[in-house]
Amino acid sequence: MSKETILKEAIEAVKKCKEEEAVDVMNRAIAEGLDPVEVLSEGFSVGIREVGDLFSRGQVFLPELMLAAEVMKSVSAIVDEEMQKSGKDADKKGVMVLATVEGDVHDIGKGIVASIIKTQGIDVIDLGRDVPADTIVAKAEELGADIIGSSALLTTTMGEQKKIEEILEAKGLKGKMKTIVGGAPVTERFAKRIGADAYAEDAAEGVEKVLALLA
Amino acid sequence: MCGVRNAGDMVLRVQLLKGLKIDAAKEYVAEKLGVSVLDLSDCSVMTELRAKLGIGVMQPLDGMPTNVEAKIRMEKILGFPINSVTRFKERAGLE
Amino acid sequence: MKKYMTRMGDGYRVELSEEEIWEDIKAGMEDAVSRGGVPELSGEEQQKLFDIITMPGTVVGVEFGKEVVMTSDSGAGKVGHLAGIQIDRIIGAQIHERVCANDSVDLGHIDYTYKAVKAVMHDEAADMQHTVNNTVMPILYGAMTNLGQYTKPDGPCDNWAELLPQGKIKEALAAQEEAVEHAVKDIVYIGDGMYECGADGMNFDTCGASGDADFLAALKAVSILREKHPDMGVEMGMAGEFVLGMHGGLTFDGKRLAGMYPHEQVKVCEAAGATIFGAVVNTNTNESLPWNLARVCTFLKACTDAATIPVHANVGMGVCAIPMTDFPAIDAVSRIDKALVEVAKVDGF
Repeated sequence: MSKETILKEAIEAVKKCKEEEAVDVMNRAIAEGLDPVEVLSEGFSVGIREVGDLFSRGQVFLPELMLAAEVMKSVSAIVDEEMQKSGKDADKKGVMVLATVEGDVHDIGKGIVASIIKTQGIDVIDLGRDVPADTIVAKAEELGADIIGSSALLTTTMGEQKKIEEILEAKGLKGKMKTIVGGAPVTERFAKRIGADAYAEDAAEGVEKVLALLA
Repeated sequence: MCGVRNAGDMVLRVQLLKGLKIDAAKEYVAEKLGVSVLDLSDCSVMTELRAKLGIGVMQPLDGMPTNVEAKIRMEKILGFPINSVTRFKERAGLE
Repeated sequence: MKKYMTRMGDGYRVELSEEEIWEDIKAGMEDAVSRGGVPELSGEEQQKLFDIITMPGTVVGVEFGKEVVMTSDSGAGKVGHLAGIQIDRIIGAQIHERVCANDSVDLGHIDYTYKAVKAVMHDEAADMQHTVNNTVMPILYGAMTNLGQYTKPDGPCDNWAELLPQGKIKEALAAQEEAVEHAVKDIVYIGDGMYECGADGMNFDTCGASGDADFLAALKAVSILREKHPDMGVEMGMAGEFVLGMHGGLTFDGKRLAGMYPHEQVKVCEAAGATIFGAVVNTNTNESLPWNLARVCTFLKACTDAATIPVHANVGMGVCAIPMTDFPAIDAVSRIDKALVEVAKVDGF
């Protein structure tokens, strides 16, 4: 079976939330000598991003999105196992700390972002909602995070994202620890103004931007 | 439609109670007040008419019906009961 | 090349050429068509949009005779709460009536959630009684269903936002269904209390904020209240342009709620007994006013065409093309309002 066919099947298995099918595709890929990491990133990951996009259009709902994330977890576990067998480290691309900023309790979107980014081989630590800027930075330092992601749904709480940049600056961490911001009132312009490294409009774009920051 | 400055309060009341779209709601109120639809948004016409009918104005002078007094008159003109008036009468022992 | 001053979705000024404005109008419209499966605006309607966007002057207005009415969510409390002027809500309502010349206002508690108001319902009802005795315009009582408040630790139900990422799908769905029943009881209790003391109606604000189960709770409560009080006015305002499928399988009137766009949302609200539908389309802060406005008008034209009840566009910040900023510029707001009335044919705001 060609690599293209396997990748296509992988995408479809995630989109249909078929765990057994997905596991079967991954096992067959490994049996045929394909690189499991490549199948994960060019097959399954593409599928989950497509599911994320459909969710943002109201064509797929949260339980399906979460089921798709479960499928991703199962195939990621196989990849981890294979990596261990071959003596390589599991391919963790980075560590990300994510939170909804202080004064803001809106975290549906942030939770979705966390679930989708996790599926890309990134270790995501979700600190929850209403988290003070200094706690976010302290936790990121403690965990050796590569990226801090923050979300704000209110115009009144966007300022907290700026506070994160100021704390990083004061601690000499600016540039070493990358930042990405999101939330309904947040824009690319705002991200540039406060000095954030990236802005993402939704979960699908969040994945792309986070992967780019880690590249 | 600028509320009691014009006839916005009454048009909204008709929308809220009868579920009528804007043109139909305006026509209903205009017919009950005996004016044209255009008059409903004309504060020169409406201030004078509202004062005459005693259905509430922006700056009520002494002796003019205000608040619930104005609504008691309004419900007779609009031809349907206004809940706050019904409850007021119940509590006041008027019905 | 001549440039026209307009705004971005976050409120910042931007200058666009005639060609750029047209490109954005087309792209915004196409986005609505592809997402909502609604018809395109006609060529004449698109031209009207362009004319409104490029009209000279800071403030524009509707044509004579096209004026519409306005409700105001939680407005009575905003004079005191947001502006910091030390007055109570009853005076706030009177200021809305006799200073601002509003058509109506709603009296909402600062928490603005039915669940929170339950404990102080009689105090709220007393304020409502004094307000309706001292005003002429219609007074509504407004609050949000806010279904998330029924989850632990704030409420009795398991938290589906925690269960779903754990893969506990069945448990997450059951928790939402349980929360719906709690919310319906609370809403009906508040609705009864407000109506009995003289409220003209209820404003169900931000329906669906916690997803399809949140919307279902509001629909069920409206059905019950309208059956008990046929003369109670009910405005149902939405939280977003499509109903977020936190559950995905919930139905009302035989129709699945998740994924519904405004032209579908209005039909289930009508079936529940709502007398006014409050439509919401989210503003994209990264796109221009022409893009957002064309998109909103495409969605809402389909909605007003489908509706038999009046449709009020929610023109608060960040929705229906209004820029997402605390104080949206009047040049943007007045153009959006004019277009919503004259192109999207809304019945109010």
